[in-house]
Amino acid sequence: MFVPCGESVPDLTNFTLLMPAVSVGNVGQLAIDLIISTLNMSKIGYFYTDCLVPMVGNNPYATAEENSDELSINTEVYALPSRKLVVLQLRSIFIKYKSKSFCEKLLAWVKSSSCARIIVLSSSHSYHRNDVQLRSTPFRYLLTPSMQKSVQNKIKSLNWLEMEKSKCIPEMSDSEFCIRIPGGGITKTLYDESCSKEIQMAVLLKFVSEGDNIPDAVSLVEYLNEWLQIVKPSSNNCTACALPWKIPSSWRLLFGSGLPPALF
Amino acid sequence: MNSGVWKEVGCAKLWNEWCRTMDTVHLSPTDAFCVFYQLKSDPSVFLCQCSCYIAEDQQFQWLEKVFGSQPRKNMQVTVLTCRHVTEYKTSESTCSLPSPFLRALKTQKFKDCACCPLLEQPNIVHDLPAAVLSYCQVWKIPAVLYLCYTDVMKLDLVTVEAFKPVLSSSGLKCLVKNIPESTEILKKLMTTNEIQSNIYT
Repeated sequence: MFVPCGESVPDLTNFTLLMPAVSVGNVGQLAIDLIISTLNMSKIGYFYTDCLVPMVGNNPYATAEENSDELSINTEVYALPSRKLVVLQLRSIFIKYKSKSFCEKLLAWVKSSSCARIIVLSSSHSYHRNDVQLRSTPFRYLLTPSMQKSVQNKIKSLNWLEMEKSKCIPEMSDSEFCIRIPGGGITKTLYDESCSKEIQMAVLLKFVSEGDNIPDAVSLVEYLNEWLQIVKPSSNNCTACALPWKIPSSWRLLFGSGLPPALF
Repeated sequence: MNSGVWKEVGCAKLWNEWCRTMDTVHLSPTDAFCVFYQLKSDPSVFLCQCSCYIAEDQQFQWLEKVFGSQPRKNMQVTVLTCRHVTEYKTSESTCSLPSPFLRALKTQKFKDCACCPLLEQPNIVHDLPAAVLSYCQVWKIPAVLYLCYTDVMKLDLVTVEAFKPVLSSSGLKCLVKNIPESTEILKKLMTTNEIQSNIYT
């Protein structure tokens, strides 16, 4: 359930909800971290359930001594009211058998808070690509039928590729075709549930491998940015400038502590 | 607990793959996994000793049973726990860290100062301490977690002494007497609990 930080529940009517799927390389979660950090979004509440493994730490987006001691938990909600953006961040994995329950609770909250649409940032195993996918851009999108009506033209103008259907049972020659997102965590479940509940949802994903997935996260938010334009280039004159994504202060020591000097 | 008279008022029994006891129906107080005590001189003070691992799919239910589904605003929670120093992330090598050492995490409503530095990012805490602190943060209960990073795998005097600053904190100092003699008291407590582990005797 959503529990606000303050005394009252914020009005999220017609907001766009951005959220990650816990997926291969944690790309969606890293991308959401970048968005929260760059836009300096404020925490508005928690999505408190028994579905994710508990974890706590101090503020992962701290910029100074003063704001470094705010406690963060595993599922938090941030907002930027001026852009009608609300972001859900997931920081741990699902407890066994609880992912479907989480999807149901999440979509119920989205409906009750009257969010206009959900955009899920996700990833899929790059080794599952077929020959066509290997030769094309690693980005894909999916839209629920209710979302297609409102954004199809915009998406077409971006020349994006829709996620291809593949055999439901790859080993069977006469298998039916369906959307499969290997390594995508709850992405497929969220997508299917949103289709059946007529919720406007878009999925943006990248084919990735596990490793240093920071570049994948940056490219995924830039893919999202082509559509939503949440961040503009810092200089108007430079068309090829890198966008000013702010790396969160918690993205340190991703591969462990320092090495003992005696090792060398 | 050595400083006052505590009455056992309940226990939380559970089973998971890490538990050593098979029989969860007829647990004796020494087997019971989470025992709750109440201070006789001040019944508003409770203490919980957790001597087993509470699995991730049991933590939420444990919280609901212990704190109830209606969180009480006028309570304060202090959690003491340990982790191995290799879990602490730092740009230096962990070999050079002065373990054991304390770090703290506190909820927004906890207004007192912690008696040690706060846990720096990118370090995080899992398991029951994280579940308790998350609960307190969400339901706006003042809570503080003191985490001791130690380089030993079993209880020793040096690690326990690392918690001494906590005994002088505003939340606990009224519960502890004889703080200057605490080292001697701890030595006695450690000796009675130590299992003879010398394989040469």
